[in-house]
Amino acid sequence: MIEITTPDVSWIAILPELVLALGAVGVLLVEVQWKPATRVLGAISAITLVIAIFFTFLQWAQAGDALEVGGLDELVAFSGMIVMDGFAVFGRFVLLVMAGLGLLAGWRLVERLNRRGAEAIALVLLATTGFSIMVASNNLVMMFLGLEIGSISLYILAGLTEEKTKADEAAMKYFLLGSFASAIFVYGVALLYAGTGQLEILAIRQFFTEFIVTRPAVILIGLALIIVGLGFKVSAAPFHSWAPDVYQGAPSGVVGYMAAMAKIAGFLAMARILLTAVPQLDDSWLPVIAGISALSMLVGSTIALVQSDVRRLLAYSGVAHAGFILTGIVGGATTGMLFYVTVYSIQLIGAFAVVAVVSGPSSSGSSIDEYRGLARRSPALGAAFAVLLLGMAGLPLTSGFVAKFGVFSEAWANGYGWLVIVALLASVISFAFYLRVIVAMYMEETEEEGIVVSLAARWVLTIAVAGTVLAGILPAPLIDLAADAFPL
Amino acid sequence: MIVAAGWYMALAAALFVIGALGLLLRRNALVMFMCIELMLNAVNLTLISAGRALNDLNGQVAVFVVLVVAAAEVVVGLAIIVAVFRRRATASVDELSELRG
Repeated sequence: MIEITTPDVSWIAILPELVLALGAVGVLLVEVQWKPATRVLGAISAITLVIAIFFTFLQWAQAGDALEVGGLDELVAFSGMIVMDGFAVFGRFVLLVMAGLGLLAGWRLVERLNRRGAEAIALVLLATTGFSIMVASNNLVMMFLGLEIGSISLYILAGLTEEKTKADEAAMKYFLLGSFASAIFVYGVALLYAGTGQLEILAIRQFFTEFIVTRPAVILIGLALIIVGLGFKVSAAPFHSWAPDVYQGAPSGVVGYMAAMAKIAGFLAMARILLTAVPQLDDSWLPVIAGISALSMLVGSTIALVQSDVRRLLAYSGVAHAGFILTGIVGGATTGMLFYVTVYSIQLIGAFAVVAVVSGPSSSGSSIDEYRGLARRSPALGAAFAVLLLGMAGLPLTSGFVAKFGVFSEAWANGYGWLVIVALLASVISFAFYLRVIVAMYMEETEEEGIVVSLAARWVLTIAVAGTVLAGILPAPLIDLAADAFPL
Repeated sequence: MIVAAGWYMALAAALFVIGALGLLLRRNALVMFMCIELMLNAVNLTLISAGRALNDLNGQVAVFVVLVVAAAEVVVGLAIIVAVFRRRATASVDELSELRG
């Protein structure tokens, strides 16, 4: 009798992803077998997300215990593939909440897709699975796998409409440039491996504390390629060219979700690699990240000034926001960055929920003319959009202000005063284009009739506006959470 | 004849650059897509030769992951290209210019 000992596996480290993947498969199977009403599929996905969020609470408790007792090794699971530190759990939690909001915001698209709605739901859940693996990975190949699970799902979502629209062009551009970025990222991983002999992030850090690299060329090129690859994913300048086209062309029901997910996961992965794996090399990467950050802020906020399409405007403002978030990484800390990413992704999903209401859930393009007099057509919708835009601009008493203050003070403390000055300049410029939309909504007349806002969209907007205002007035709880969520 | 691992990595770097240049210069979506595959295979070659030089299995195992990801990308990518081709009867990305602002 041969005894086979199974290895000890700490399943809790991947429970949220397991639940999400099962939920995605479950939605598809239920659809094939019973062809239920879309509501049923929505209920399944909601239950999936709630269970997954519940498991992140368990993980958070366990990560906290391990930090107190000192059992850090227990947080690294699956032979060093997955890490369950506060950073990963916080990121997962945010991703899951955004998936829920994204599904609500895109619910009318799901209903319109009819029998293909199940695909959209399953793809949203799968993308969430992938990105959540990405933020929790301790191994660069695992990170690549998560990135691709998420990105490939998003390529399909970008083209998923029932109408013949420009979505196919958006999907093709997103696919070609996204795969290009992924290939660059994984080549960077391969070069980093060739230089250090390690794929695990914690082992790479160990490597740099033990050895002094005399000829770091291969390692630095690898690191640069990783930064470029992730820079594409988070649409930082000069790697942002795909973002406006994709945001404009993809069905508006899913754009907010797509943009938020790619940004959250991309920034968290970047912070984990730069701040956990290669903090020793910061002489080399800090100036590069600072340069990308400054360029993103300036390019994003100046080009957004001349946009006539609200979605392109939000895309360029997203480029500027990528620059603002990168100042947090330049600051060398993750607290401000986590806070910023959280509040910005809520605003983004809320803003695109408004776009989906104004120009239809499967439309491409959303000219600023459509927003003229929006405040008269639907006062609540106009007010919600105005609050979200002001939040993005960083008006005091909104979450955007606290977020910007957080990352700027981190960068200032780390000796990057010039970057903070550029950032303040870009913030001032960015007020101009946010105000342009608000002026169009409030000051201009229209003959159009009122707009009916669907229940799901109302929920999203209520949550987004409440989050933006609450996190602006009482930011302390969220900041404390983000401060506890540091990477190992 | 023994070829040092460094030469394989140099070859991989050359393949990667050819792929990247092809992606940037060619205008046919299918060819661009093949260039991405070329880049991913350059990555595989780097991982294999680095793993061999370091006497470490991780690099070789990672190749399987990259291969599976490349296969998944083929499935989605070809579907998207076919969808575009059906609507426009062209696979040239120059014709794809409806989105601009």
